[in-house]
Amino acid sequence: MKKETIVLLVSIIALPFVVRPAIATEIWIFAIFGLGLNLLLGYTGLLSFGQSTFFGSAAYVAGWLLKNYGINVFFALGIGVGVGALSALLVGYLCVQRSGLYFIMLTFALNQLFYFIAYQWTTVTGGEDGMPGIPRPDFLGLNFKDPLLYYAFVSLLFLLSLWLMKRIVESPLGRILQAIRENEVRAEAVGYHVPRFKLLAFVIGGAFSGLAGVLYAMLFGIVPLEAISFVFSGNVVFATLIGGSGSLYGPIIGSFVFIWLSESMSVMWARWPLLLGVAFVIVVLFFRGGVVEAWSRLGEKVRLWRSSRQKT
Amino acid sequence: MNLLLGQILNGIATGMLYALMGLGLSLITGVLNIPNFAHGALFAVGAYLLVSSANLVGNFWVALLVAPLGVALLGLIIEYAGVRRLYAAGHDYQLLFTFGLALILNELIIVIWGPVGISHLPPAILRGGVDLGFTFYPKYRLFVMGMAGLLVLATWLFLEKTRYGAVMRAGIENKEMVSLLGIDIHRLFTVAFGIGAFLAGIAGALTAPIRGLSPGMGVDMLGIAFVVVALGGLGNLLGAIAAGLLIGIAQAVVAAYWTEASTAVIFAVMALVLLIRPQGMFGIR
Repeated sequence: MKKETIVLLVSIIALPFVVRPAIATEIWIFAIFGLGLNLLLGYTGLLSFGQSTFFGSAAYVAGWLLKNYGINVFFALGIGVGVGALSALLVGYLCVQRSGLYFIMLTFALNQLFYFIAYQWTTVTGGEDGMPGIPRPDFLGLNFKDPLLYYAFVSLLFLLSLWLMKRIVESPLGRILQAIRENEVRAEAVGYHVPRFKLLAFVIGGAFSGLAGVLYAMLFGIVPLEAISFVFSGNVVFATLIGGSGSLYGPIIGSFVFIWLSESMSVMWARWPLLLGVAFVIVVLFFRGGVVEAWSRLGEKVRLWRSSRQKT
Repeated sequence: MNLLLGQILNGIATGMLYALMGLGLSLITGVLNIPNFAHGALFAVGAYLLVSSANLVGNFWVALLVAPLGVALLGLIIEYAGVRRLYAAGHDYQLLFTFGLALILNELIIVIWGPVGISHLPPAILRGGVDLGFTFYPKYRLFVMGMAGLLVLATWLFLEKTRYGAVMRAGIENKEMVSLLGIDIHRLFTVAFGIGAFLAGIAGALTAPIRGLSPGMGVDMLGIAFVVVALGGLGNLLGAIAAGLLIGIAQAVVAAYWTEASTAVIFAVMALVLLIRPQGMFGIR
């Protein structure tokens, strides 16, 4: 086994002993969400600030079906993936026709469209109060109400998602997306229909977001309005950037740091988004490149410091 | 019918405010080539500054001048101390920076002014309404229409008729060329951010007596400003006005018949327009 795999497996096993199982579960859910974004951000070079559209839509639809029709867990997951992909297809279709800053603004504006629908459609979504009472039904005799069992289930799905995403980015499709990131004009000139590939990346990213959304709804038993708002869209961008969007594992590290950060800050102060904002600004001004790069830069500094001590 | 006409007037008033927001954002985004996610927060700060300074000085007109100037100053500081260091950083980090600023400003508003909405009356002279024949219409909204119109006109005169305005338009088209011509591009960036922030601030200040204030007002307006820019095109003044009026009127008309959908309709209209014309209303990329 490779080093990364071992580290991952060890952290999956160790995590619920370090933090509450709910938080541990949330970390892997957020990592799936981040994997979906990073296909766009890191591999295709598309900065989407509307990922919560797919996350939230999937959570609402699957949550509604779980609550009112008692569908089973796997059907709910399938619905979530489907709704995530479909909403991404709709949003992506409008967005991929524009590029650069327009693209970013469109993803945000369309996110707002979905947000305001959820906000006002109170009979279904519960509006500001969220959609409560989402069950976590048993499946094949497995009692998912047991937090640790649900944790194991989510971790397994996370590993599956990671494996799948690795396959995707290493496939010819993944290479084409990276070619678009590096040089859109050239990718077009070589004969690839760039908007279509961007849309495909959007749909795949949306499917991952949808999966994360359903898992989130089942974890907390509620879909809060934030789940479809700019807040979640911003969080996943931040988590991915802080981990480093350049690698497959960046969003995973970012998810760790972000969930841990927000969990510890939110108990400190009701106005913790202020601290989060300060953290964003500091990261951007001083730690661009994310944790991975900051770590290697620190290593570099330590090495220099050691060698300068040896000389004197 | 009279209800509809009244709503269309309302739509023009808010639409002009949307146009101001879009115009300011368009200057910042166009000249500096950054996604400004703090634009909505600047709008909110403008509104809150108006209320506080009006309460402090006891004069609406002084407050209407102080609030946008305060926001412009904030904009200059943001550009000079932060954004300036990020021109080479890529949109993702620029976005994170401005988004972080928006969070900070938004939370500071809650810390300073509280999480509960505040209402603010227009000055005595602009209270009450006038009879327009078909409807009795609030004076203050007419004032907002006129004021926003004047500001758009002033911005147009600046961009089209002054030398520095021409430089700014050139900056939107081609930054390298402008700096090669020996123009201090960094000063241009700072000025553009200042003007954009000023427009956001005054839009917020003008909005305060109409809609009241709440901490969420900034984010709501941010999405709307994005819609105006996406439809009207970067640096396109007429585009901003047309897009602002389109969504303002659509929102007001829908509000008369289906209040719940009145905000969502702004974004739905945008989606519809983009479905027909992906390049926006005036086809500028």
